[in-house]
This record gives sequence, C-alpha cells and structure tokens, in this order.
Amino acid sequence: MPRVQREANVTWAGNVARGSGAISAGTGAFDELPYSLATRIERTDGKTSPEELLAAAHAACFAMSVATELTSAGTPPEHLDVTATVTLDQVEDGSHRIVSSELLARARVTGIDAAGFERLAHAASEGCTLSKLIEASAKVTVNARLEGGTDGD
Amino acid sequence: MATDRKAEVTWQGDLMSGNGRVDSGTSGAFGGLDVSWPARSEEPEGKTSPEELIAAAHATCFSMALSHGLAEAGHPAEELKTSATVTFQPGEGITKIALDVAGRVPGIDEGAFLQAADGAKQNCPVSKALTGVPEISLTARLES
Repeated sequence: MPRVQREANVTWAGNVARGSGAISAGTGAFDELPYSLATRIERTDGKTSPEELLAAAHAACFAMSVATELTSAGTPPEHLDVTATVTLDQVEDGSHRIVSSELLARARVTGIDAAGFERLAHAASEGCTLSKLIEASAKVTVNARLEGGTDGD
Repeated sequence: MATDRKAEVTWQGDLMSGNGRVDSGTSGAFGGLDVSWPARSEEPEGKTSPEELIAAAHATCFSMALSHGLAEAGHPAEELKTSATVTFQPGEGITKIALDVAGRVPGIDEGAFLQAADGAKQNCPVSKALTGVPEISLTARLES
C-alpha cells in the first residue's frame, strides 16, 4: 500500500503562560481549534489540548483495530464505543510527561462472551500501531465490556 | 497534579466498509469527526484520521514547548507557525513525523532559534510519548 501523509497546522501567539494557539487539520476536518497552557493543565473551558488530540488519535486507531478483530472472529460488532483517556503528569524532575493512555471498548456483539471479547480487545491494542508507540514510554491499559446482554451465554 | 483528557469514538461495521465518529470527551472542543479506513489509507475526502490527530497533537505540543523555551531564553515569540506531517505506512505504522516551524521572534538569531526548536522537539511531552517513531525531523526558520 502506498504511504499516506497527514498534516496539521498550528499558529501560536505570545508566551506559554498567557499565549494561545489554534490548530487546523490538513484535511479540513477541523479548523482553528483554540488551545492554551491554562486550559491544557487546568479547566478546559471548552478548549482542546495535545493530550486530548492524542486521546482522539488513540481511540480512533483502537476502534478500527477492535472492529477488525471482531470481524475476523466472525462476530462483527452491532455497535462499538471506544474511549481513550490520556494522563499528563508532573514527574520527579519537574517536567510533564504523558504517563498513561487508558482504553475502554464497549460493544454490543452477538456470539461472543465477556472473556472472548476481552481477549480480542487486548489483541486489538497489540495490533493498533499507536498503542505500540505509546507503550514505549507510557502505560497502555485495555478494558473491555459487553453491552446489551447479548454475551452469548 | 495529573491531568486527564478523554476522547470517544463510536464505530459501526467492520474495518473496510464501516465508519466511526470521533468526539472530544473532556473539552467538547470538537465532535462528530468522521473516520474510516479508506479515508485513513487513501484519499481523505475531508475526513480526519488517527495520523492527522497525531499531527495535531504533536504540532500543538511542540509549539507550546517552543514558546516556553524562547521565553525562558529571554526571547518571547510574537508568533510561531508550526506544521506536523505524519507519514503512515499501512501495515507498518507511523514511519516519520516532519515538524516545520516559522517564527517571528524579536532579537534572536537563527542559531539560537534552531537550538530552541530542537529543545522543544526533544522535550515536549508528545515527542516523548512518540519516541518509537523511527524518524522525527525538524526544519525551523525565522520570519521578519
């Protein structure tokens, strides 16, 4: 398959404490999303942040992997919800680090039990390229939950 | 103090013919962004992808770190324009991220600006979370 390139652009004005920036997607899918330091580490006030964008990337990657695993197992999802929660923390030397990304998959699937779904969700994280990247420096956890009572029992 | 940021995806169908929707779960700053495998691996047709969201995360993080580094060095930036381009090889993963920054920074020379940009590239939290990417490149220039 050919290589794919995706680009995003940021304009930042001012210093870090009081300045602010705006993010636009090369595809046009989002445009001029505002962000700032205060809203990155304190109240969001409706503004996104690098960590929220990373969470969105990770959730989107993981959702595609879970859909793939469930379909390959012959039990495609009727409905699949995924969340990723990225945690930024101050570490011993005073700098900020992304310390974890917690994945949760909730699915309505016929013909699979809870243990089977949990196995597939872990395999999906292993197959998600972003999980591999983030695992090099932070903890990735996977939780899986079947919904709707169709757990195959 | 730890800060959590959450995002949510709802997916319908299988990988090849299904599609998903991405919402910011903490801030509400974006929502209803469509994603699909064809748009991720071929023509985007206006749809975002995990790689574009990584580009956005990296460009925002880098810009903030650079504005901090410049201010610490006594040369606060008036404006920084950053782009991040993520190269994705389906079946392999992200193979490269190219950062490019143009800065309007009074009283700084090119060498010091480059040094500050390199520091931001090394130290911003998203760079540190993406150390597994085989290549992260940087170009930086001053604008008057």
